[in-house]
Formats: sequence, C-alpha cells, structure tokens
Amino acid sequence: MGRADAERIVRARLKSGGHTLTEPEAKGLLRSYSIPVPRSRVVKDAIGAVEAAEAIGYPVVLKVVSPDILHKTEAGGVATGISDSRELKERLSRMLLKLADERPTANIEGFLVEETALKGVEVIAGVVRDEQFGPLVMFGTGGVAVELMRDVSFRLAPMTKDEALGMICEVKGFPLLTGFRGDTPKDLDALAETIIRLSEIALEIGEIKEIEINPLIVHENGAVAVDARAVLR
Amino acid sequence: MLVDRQDINPFHPCSKKSSMNVKGLDFFFNPASVAIVGASPAQGKISNIIIQSLKASGFPGAIYPVNPKYPVVEGMECYPSIAAINEDIDIAVFAVPAASTPDALKHAGSRVKGAIIVGGGFSEMGQEGGRLQEEIKAIVRERSIRVIGPNCMGIYDAVSRLDTFFLPLERIKRPAKGVLSIISQSGSFAVTAMDELATEGIGIARVVSYGNKADVNETDCLRFLAGDGQTGAVAIYIESIDNGAGFIEAARECALKKPVIALKVGRYGAGASAARSHTGAIAGRYEAYRAAFRKAGVVELDGYEDFVNGCKAFGSLRPASGNRAVIITDGGGIGVDLADTCQAIGLKVPQLDGALKRELESIFPPFFIASNPVDLTGSATDKLYAEALEKTLSTDSFDIAIVVALWGPPGLTDGFAAAIASTASSIGKPVVVCAPGGAWSREKNRLFMKYGLPVFPTPGGAARAAAILSKAKGRHGQS
Repeated sequence: MGRADAERIVRARLKSGGHTLTEPEAKGLLRSYSIPVPRSRVVKDAIGAVEAAEAIGYPVVLKVVSPDILHKTEAGGVATGISDSRELKERLSRMLLKLADERPTANIEGFLVEETALKGVEVIAGVVRDEQFGPLVMFGTGGVAVELMRDVSFRLAPMTKDEALGMICEVKGFPLLTGFRGDTPKDLDALAETIIRLSEIALEIGEIKEIEINPLIVHENGAVAVDARAVLR
Repeated sequence: MLVDRQDINPFHPCSKKSSMNVKGLDFFFNPASVAIVGASPAQGKISNIIIQSLKASGFPGAIYPVNPKYPVVEGMECYPSIAAINEDIDIAVFAVPAASTPDALKHAGSRVKGAIIVGGGFSEMGQEGGRLQEEIKAIVRERSIRVIGPNCMGIYDAVSRLDTFFLPLERIKRPAKGVLSIISQSGSFAVTAMDELATEGIGIARVVSYGNKADVNETDCLRFLAGDGQTGAVAIYIESIDNGAGFIEAARECALKKPVIALKVGRYGAGASAARSHTGAIAGRYEAYRAAFRKAGVVELDGYEDFVNGCKAFGSLRPASGNRAVIITDGGGIGVDLADTCQAIGLKVPQLDGALKRELESIFPPFFIASNPVDLTGSATDKLYAEALEKTLSTDSFDIAIVVALWGPPGLTDGFAAAIASTASSIGKPVVVCAPGGAWSREKNRLFMKYGLPVFPTPGGAARAAAILSKAKGRHGQS
C-alpha cells in the first residue's frame, strides 16, 4: 500500500496509451492512500459477477469498466439495488445491450460488482493541477448538481488539518454535515482526513492532472469514496 | 570576469534562482547615484521628465544625464556614455528605443549595479520584442546586474526620493512619505492609485512598477519589502505570477510581519480547458490565486476601487484585531445602510451591551439613539461624537469604528475631525470615516485627511476598508 502501488496503477494505464483511469483503477489509487472505498471486485462476465456478488453480499451495484466511458450513468453503465443472482444476470445483459447502442466503440474491460454504500451526506472532493500553484483542492456539496450550485471551496496543497476543516466549514451546505433537520452529525475528522489524503495523491503522483471523488459519502463514523475518476497528463 | 564580479558582490544573481536574493535589491531603494541613459533636453520626453522629477523630489544622490548628443541637459553636465562617468553607478535608467536597449545595457553592465528599463517594445509587443527581452535576460544572467522592467515606470520612493515615474508632476501628484508600499505589474494602475492617495493626503514608502519582469518580479519585491523597516504594509497588483511556490513563501513571510493586500486581475480567462471532472470544470485560474492568497495570509482585493480603499486603509491605519464594528452617525438612514453593507461583507455590528446602553442614555439627550449604529441625530456636536466614540470603541466589545460624518448639522465645526482623531489615537483602534455629501462636505473632509483619518465618500467604500483592516488581523505585531 502507498505511493508505489499508486504509481504502478498510473504507469500501467499510461503504458496502454490511456489518459483516463477507470473507476477500479482510480479507487485503487485511493485505497493505496488509505481512503476507504466500498468492497468490490472486477469481473469479466455474468458468471464472475454472480460469484463476486455472493462473496460481497446483496444488494450490490453493477458498473461498467471502460477507459472510454467517464460518465457511466449517462451511458447506461450503472445499475443499483440488485438483490439476487437472477436480477444481476438480467441487468448485466440489459446493460450490455444499452452500451452497444450508446457507446458502440467503447472498449469494455469488464464490470465492477460493488457493495451498496450506506446512506450518508454526499459531498465532492477533487484536485486539479494548476500550472503555477500545483494541486488545487476543491471541496463541495450538491452531488451531481455541483457545477450548477457551485457551493465549493478551494485550498492549495500541501494542506494542514486546519485548512481541510476550514474548507469544509466554508461552504453554504456545511450544516448538512452537522445534523441538519434532525439528522445525525457526520464525521468531519474523517472527511478532512480524506481530503488531505486526496491532495497527497496529487502532490506525490505528478502524472495526475485531475482526480475526483464524487460522491464521497460521509457517515457518522468515517467517509467512503463511492465513485472516483482520474485524468492523467 | 564573472567570478570577479561575484567576489565583489556575493549576492550576485548568476541564475534565476539566486536572483531572488533580497540583498540584491537594496541598492534600488537607497541609491547614491542615478544615470539617465538617453537624457534629452526636450520638454515632455520621458528622460527629461525623470530628470526634472529627481530635481523636484530633492533626490540627494548624484544625477548623471547620459547622451552623446548633448553637452548639457537641464543645467547638468551630460556624459557621452556611462563609461565616461568617473564613478560606479548604482542605478541606470534606460530611456532609449527597445532595439538599442540590449547594447546600451551591455555597455553599462560592468559599471552599474542595477538598471530600470522604462521603455516598451519588448515581450508585450510580439516576437521581435520578445527576442529583445530574451537578450536582456541573457545579459542579466551573464553580468552582475539587476533589471527592473522593461515596459515599466520603475520606482517612486518617498524614502530615497528616487522618482522614475515619467509622468509630469503637475498631472500626477506624488505622495508624501508614508508607510504603505505598492508593487505593481502595471505602471498606469500604480500611478493612478498613487495619484489618488497623494490627493487624499495618504503617504507612501515605495512604489515599484516592474512591468515585463525580465529579472525583478513580485517575489523579489516582496522579499525586500518584508525586511524593509520603512514599509508598514504592502499592496500588490498582479496580472500573473511566475513562480507560484516562491510567491506563496515570500508573501507569507511578508504577511507575518506586516499586512499584505493584493488584487489579481484577469480573473475570467478560460479555466482548465477540456476538463473532464467537475472539479476541473469549476476551478478556473482565479481559484488558484485566491487559494494562494489565503495560504500566504494575503488579503484579497476586489477591483481598482477596492485596491484604493485598501491602500487608504493601510496607508493610515493599523489592522483591526477583530471584525466587530461600532457605527456612530448623525443620520439614521446612512447609518443603517452602512450597517447592512458591513454585515453583507462579513463584519459584525453587535448591539451595545446593557450597561453601555444605559450609560450612554444617561449621558445623552433622550432623542439620541443608544444602539448600534449610535445615532446622534441632527443635534450632533464635535464633543458628543468624541464622547460616543470614546464610550463605545474603548470597550472590549468593538475592534473598529466607522464614523459617519454628515456635515449638515450646524453643531459640527472645524474642530470635528481633530476631536475624532485625538479620541481614536487615545483608544488605539482603527477609525474609518464615511462622509458622503456635496461641495461643503467634500471641502470639510480634507480636515479628516489632515489628521490622518481615511475618508470614504460611500458606505460601501468605508465598509470595505473596515473589512480589509479586520482581515489582516493577528498575523503580525503592532510594529
């Protein structure tokens, strides 16, 4: 675990001529920096998927793995709430048909079978490399509407814990994390720690141009990176 | 040759990296001699204005006009070349065409410590200009010379009295000696702000316009100003930064010692093109600058007006230790509007605590409103203003006061400003004046300026100044 693992993942993708990490690769990067991700397995086909789902435990999520598909939901490459093997096989074959329509030329490397994430507060954490100032870290609320709402804050890496907590408190949606409307307060410490580790990935792995966790689900205890993407230079 | 020069000057810049040495810049701000290369007797020429400005400012060092065409310029002996001057020169100002600048610089290189190249026609003017600028950079690397510019106004220094700002004195007023220093990529921006400050009686320590920064850049200037005993606060105008990490380090070091405020222009350029993540789509270049300012403890300014507001504030006052403002007014409407504006931009306008409210009510006539804003109404007098300021600002409840001075009530006399100023100085917290109004008011506002209180003609300006003063809190000592 650590930098060496992350570098191996990045180098392998670059070697294959790609500049976008697939979700399992991006999550491999996160895992190597101790950022929690849901339990998952990459499989080739329906038989593998059923095996994986039984090991992980239903309900599971099924996602397409392709370096050519960055926005999986829009392409029909995500199926959630799958409760048994019959449904899994059916939804997988439907997904294949849909992908053949939507992205006929995409290279499909396999499927990700993943445990269903527990509910919590969905936030986004990302880093882009600024040519002058280095890794610029963003935190925000709003999930898929983040580009619309722009409820975000920025800091430059390297970051202290205070800076990470500061950028969390700064967004308008901050009260969502502290027990809004009777909800339980969320684990700000784990959230800050996740943001710092994400910034460390960008600091240490120079090939990364953009890396993003969206959604990052924050629980009462801990935070889990449910989806991730990374773009290489 | 190079080795010899380095022996003479251990801070010689032999690479871009070592050119960041602070000590390398000292002589620019304490020159014993200045040569004007391209000196001309023609009125209105850049070189001629510089010579006249140096004479008018009382520059105490030696002034050497240089031009083979003339024996005498402005009553001074004019030398055919730098080599013909029998002394080593601290600063040579080059007011010659771009194409002849590299040669002139090479010529002077062994005799001068630094050059200010005021002329344009370099990297801002396309390929040929860019090539000339690269030539200048090469000369900087080869010889022990530091260069400010090209395409800049150079230095206006109220401490050393160096003035290379080649705009006529009758058009652009020069500020008296003060505590604020300004560094700016744009000459016209700095000079316009400087002219406004001078007109409002705000003093300046040093102004550096470094233009295309072939050598000296914002980071070098920040390093110098951080250690400059004459500079109490720094304002920066930025178009672009060359070395992000170096800037953050230098700005942070400076901001630990004195307030640093900065304006970055050109915010809305294209963001990260073809970004594939939400983060990339949202984050523009300006977000990186903001984050850099925050990391360095630099207070971010918002446009020219804000730049002048910030300069007026830190040109006259020390930082506030917090953001709790008391407003004292003689007009209810302006007072409430100001309170709204303050709160909209992050200042607090807390209510007076019970004991203080009762005390004010016992002192003042019943129709005064002992609240925040404290409203002295049209019955206000110099003395009542001073008392209200004293009673409120001297408590632990407030960090800064904004005095709304509407000059209509006849109880206010020419002693008003002095009364506010002396109360403010005895309390030792910053006091900003908000004084909208017409001809009479504008005339009388000069009294506040005379006593060193910054005056703002709008509630928005006064509130911003107070907010800027409160944002630099706690990062440096009171000296």
